[in-house]
Order: sequence, then C-alpha cells, then structure tokens
Amino acid sequence: MPLYSLDPEWEDVVPLPQDDGVQPLAQIAYTEEYTEAMSYLRAVMAKDEMSERVLKVTEDVIEMNPAHYTVWLYRAKTLFALGKDLVEEKNFLNDMALRHQKNYQIWHHRQLIMDRIDDSTGETEFTVTMFEKDCKNYHVWSYRQWLVRRFDLWDKGEIEYIDTLLEQDVRNNSAWNHRFFVVFGREETVPKDIVDREIRVCEDAIFIAPQNLSPWSYVRGVLKKANLPLSTFEKTASFYAPLDNPDKIRSSHALDILADIYAEKGEQKERALIALDFLAKKYDPIRANYWNYRAGLIKASS
Amino acid sequence: MANSLLHIDKHVSYIQSLDTRKDRLDYHLTSHLRLSGVYWGLTALHLLNHPTALPRDATIEFVKSCQHPNGGFGASPGHDAHILYTLSAIQILATVDALGSVSKTNVVSYVAGLQDKDTGCFAGDEWGEMDTRFIYCALSTLSLLGELKNPAIDVPKAISYILQCLNPDGGFGMAPSAESHAGQIFTCVGALVIAGVLKEEMSPDQIDLLGDWLCERQLPNGGLNGRPEKLEDVCYSWWVLSSLAMIEKLHWIDRDKLVEFILSCQDDEQGGIADRKGDMADVFHTVFGVAGLSLLGYEGLKEVDPVYCMPKEITESVLNGYKLV
Ligand SMILES: [Zn+2]
Repeated sequence: MPLYSLDPEWEDVVPLPQDDGVQPLAQIAYTEEYTEAMSYLRAVMAKDEMSERVLKVTEDVIEMNPAHYTVWLYRAKTLFALGKDLVEEKNFLNDMALRHQKNYQIWHHRQLIMDRIDDSTGETEFTVTMFEKDCKNYHVWSYRQWLVRRFDLWDKGEIEYIDTLLEQDVRNNSAWNHRFFVVFGREETVPKDIVDREIRVCEDAIFIAPQNLSPWSYVRGVLKKANLPLSTFEKTASFYAPLDNPDKIRSSHALDILADIYAEKGEQKERALIALDFLAKKYDPIRANYWNYRAGLIKASS
Repeated sequence: MANSLLHIDKHVSYIQSLDTRKDRLDYHLTSHLRLSGVYWGLTALHLLNHPTALPRDATIEFVKSCQHPNGGFGASPGHDAHILYTLSAIQILATVDALGSVSKTNVVSYVAGLQDKDTGCFAGDEWGEMDTRFIYCALSTLSLLGELKNPAIDVPKAISYILQCLNPDGGFGMAPSAESHAGQIFTCVGALVIAGVLKEEMSPDQIDLLGDWLCERQLPNGGLNGRPEKLEDVCYSWWVLSSLAMIEKLHWIDRDKLVEFILSCQDDEQGGIADRKGDMADVFHTVFGVAGLSLLGYEGLKEVDPVYCMPKEITESVLNGYKLV
C-alpha cells in the first residue's frame, strides 16, 4: 500500500479531506489507508486531473471499496482521456471481478471498455470463469446477453454452453433463461425442428427432476412462441401426474399445466378442478388460496 | 401462532445506534449508499411508530449536502449524483415534510436528462448504465414531486420499455430477455402502478401469471426467495409481497408462515433484522422486514404503501396535495 504523503510523485498534491460539515448523520471515521487514498483522489478530482497517477489511486480505492461508483466513473474518464491500452484494463478487471463476485459496478465499467475495444475475444470465456464460481450471477448473465447482442454471438457456442450447464445442474434457472434468449431472442421465426428440439430438451430435463419448475415454465414459453396449444404437452404432463392414479403423482407443476390444458379444452373442466384440488389440498397447500382462485375462475366460466 | 414477537424498542435503538458506530470500517465503506441508509432507517422508524427518533433538521441538512448543482443527489457529500440516491433524497424529504427545501425544477431536469429518448429507459447516472430499476426511481421521484406529467419526461415510452422486459414465465427482468427477478418485478410493477396503467397494459391473464410466479417464491419455511432455486431472504420477501399487494393478490401466500419467518430473522438482543435467521442484522433488511410485517397487517405498525415503501399516510397526503392544485 502506498503512503501517498511520503511518495514524491504526489508531493505537489494537497490532500482534500472529507467535508462532513455539520451533519451528525454522516460523520465518518475512516481507516488510515483508505482515508489517505480518498483524500488524494478527491484532490485530483477537484482539479479534474487525468494522469497515470489517477489510475493508480483509483486502483487503490477500488481495491479497498469496489462498490464506490464515483471512482469507477472517474477511472473510465481518465482511461479514455489518456488513450490507454484497454486490453490491459481488461486484465485488471478480470482480477477484480474474480475477487469481488457481488460487485456490479465492475460489469458496467467492463461494458464501456469492451464497447471501445470492439473485439469480444476471450469475453464469453471469462464469463464462464465467473459462472464456475456462481452460475446464477445476475449481472454476469446480463453482461453475457449484452455480448451476444453486441458482437452477434448467437450461433457461437451459446446453446452448447447451456447444454453443459444444464447437464451440471438441471435446476439452473439462469441457464434456462439464457437458453430462451438464445433460441427465441432474435426477430426471425424459429423453425419447427428447433421447436421440437426444445420440447424434447424439456422432456429430458423433467425426466431427471420432475419437480423442477424451470423446464415446465420453459415449455409454456416455447409453445406460446410456436403458437402451439398447451395440450401438445398433455401426454408428458399426465405421465407425471396421472389424475386417476393419485399415488403416482410426482410433480405439482405437471398438475398445474394439466389444469390449464383441461380448462382450455372446455369439456374437461371437471378434470381441471380435480387437478387444482390436489394442488390445494395435498401437493402445494402453502398456495391453497391461489389454486382455489384458479378453480373459481373455471367454475365461473362454465 | 408464532411464539416470537416484534421487538419494536430494540429495533428503534438499533437504528439510532447506527449513526454512532463511526469507528468501524464497515460504516465508512458504506458511504457510497449512506443517503439510502438514512431513508431505510427513517422509514423503519416511522413504520415502528417512532417518527421523531432521528433529528429532523440534521436529516434535512444532510440530504441537502448531498445535492449536486445538476439537481441530482449523491450517496454522501463528494459522491457523484445517481438516480438511486436522488429517489432516496426525495423519499426522505417527503417523509419529514420538507420537499420545499430543495429546488424541484433542478431535480426534474436531472431526472429527465437520464432518460434514453430512443428506448424510454432511464440510466442510473451520466455513464448510462440502464436498468428497469432506474425507471422506477425516475417515476417514483417525479410522482412524489407532483411532476409526472412534466413534458420533459416520456412516460409512455418508459412504460413500453418495461413491457419489453416481461418474460414468458410471467415475471420481469432488468432488461429485455433478462431473467425474472423479484427486485426487478417490484420496480416494473411499481412503475406501472405509479403511471396508472397497470390494468391497461397487463391483461388479467398476465397479472395472474405474474401472481403465480410471485407466490411460487414462498418456501416451506415461510420465507420468500427472489428467483427459483435461490435461498429465502427478508428483502426478497418484501419485493415479492409488495408486488403481490400491487396486483391485489397478497392473499396468495401463506401469511402466518411469512410473519413467523420474518420474526425469526430478528436479532433478539441488539435489535435489527437480518436477511435470514442467524445472520448479522443490517438496516436494509430491517426496513424491509418491518415493511413486510406492516403489509401483512402485523399489529402495532403504521401501514406501509407497497408502491413507495413509505408510510401510507405520508404518500397519501403528498400525492393528494398535488391533486388539489
Ligand atoms: Zn436480502
């Protein structure tokens, strides 16, 4: 840790202490290192200085407190003003991101940098490294979607990567969401063989974990996008929730979709009510009010 | 039912004590969200029926010291303006009945300047990070200032952006195609309600599907999570619950179990509420725990407004004040 007051590079700078004024709610006692770095940063910011040493002090402050959004902004401004090699900045960001998993200011900063670099080499690979630590990191997923759109990576291994993730954990809802984005996120209509493949992927996932919500939600989305009726999935749903053999019911989500399928068909409303009754009384009683509401809608429509 | 009770007095002294712990590094390291911290503490105190537990004049002075010449507010003096803290500032001033102490025109022009005229979304600050949360911050701020109809803001465009973030599972994400997330749902539904277009823009079926997604978040231990397959958390409990309240489906979750869950996250000795049982309490989870209990009709608390996360009598009087003019 540099001691700025002893560093000749900083001797022309008069540090600017935090001005807390008269606000009893905001008086702050800092640790010494942080206080010093911040007071030098404040001093250079006050002069709007853009220099190498600004990069250094922002790096120190970010290291101690990566959530300090003002410092990130000033760092980006300085990097651009100095025309710095942004690939080097990327290496710094990789290291920071891995050590500060929860920080999100960093991902916005990275987006600004990558937009300027205009070359996505190594980027999806880096998100994979992040996902190895937390495969549901919301801001990293959102960054990955930005990458796909910005650099046209739709057909560059996204589906294959999702397949691997779902093989590792079929309950990873973030991966399911990204899958939907990659398959249906472009303007064009999706060909029938892809729709069939997606339905199959859901069936396989449900076979592994029938009580996993994600593929049940996903298949509803697929059918809707493809303009297919929910009953396309009736056979699969009945397999996991045979109404005539209640002991064999293995998924509340199967009951849920069956209730919709039967209600849609009109003449089988009774069966829809049976499915909802199972849900309210036995398979998902914590949400009994919701299931009873659905039953009420069906009764009111007949 | 629950054998535990809400420790009102302990929570009040916990919140009051936050300001005096300045010798600790974590106090300092959170200066980047200080203004929001004041809003959380103040709102919790109001809901706990101790509205004067923080000094009013000093609170107003602090808020004013965070304002920039461009009209926006930073988290603390010396921090850049950001829409998150601008909303916190306006919420605090509305709560202590001091909206007149800052220039409205300034704040409105700051907020208006953050809207992307092409997409309708709002950026958080001058660097343009876009997120549905910021639309909520913008509309909430403007409505508390009575400036929702200001021609500098394109509300219909902001709403159309929000609708692009609606997912096939019924929820909303931070951007088009981003995963549904309880926090983002709160901001999207809140924005629709503030703009007065929830029922115009969402069909009954869409509202039901959203309600389905939301009440699906309740876990057997009574707590709610923010996304499928994640852990329960007091703050997510609030975002899910307030969203359910806004679409009038609050009764779709098991009330008693959630009350019990929130109470179990209290620090029984020092006061304060944690994200989940056994973790360290903080002011963020304290306000959302108390607000959640208020929304569930827990005895002895002031009624909370699910749209603004502020005392309902305050939002009502502020908003009604604009209607009269
Ligand atoms: Zn939380």
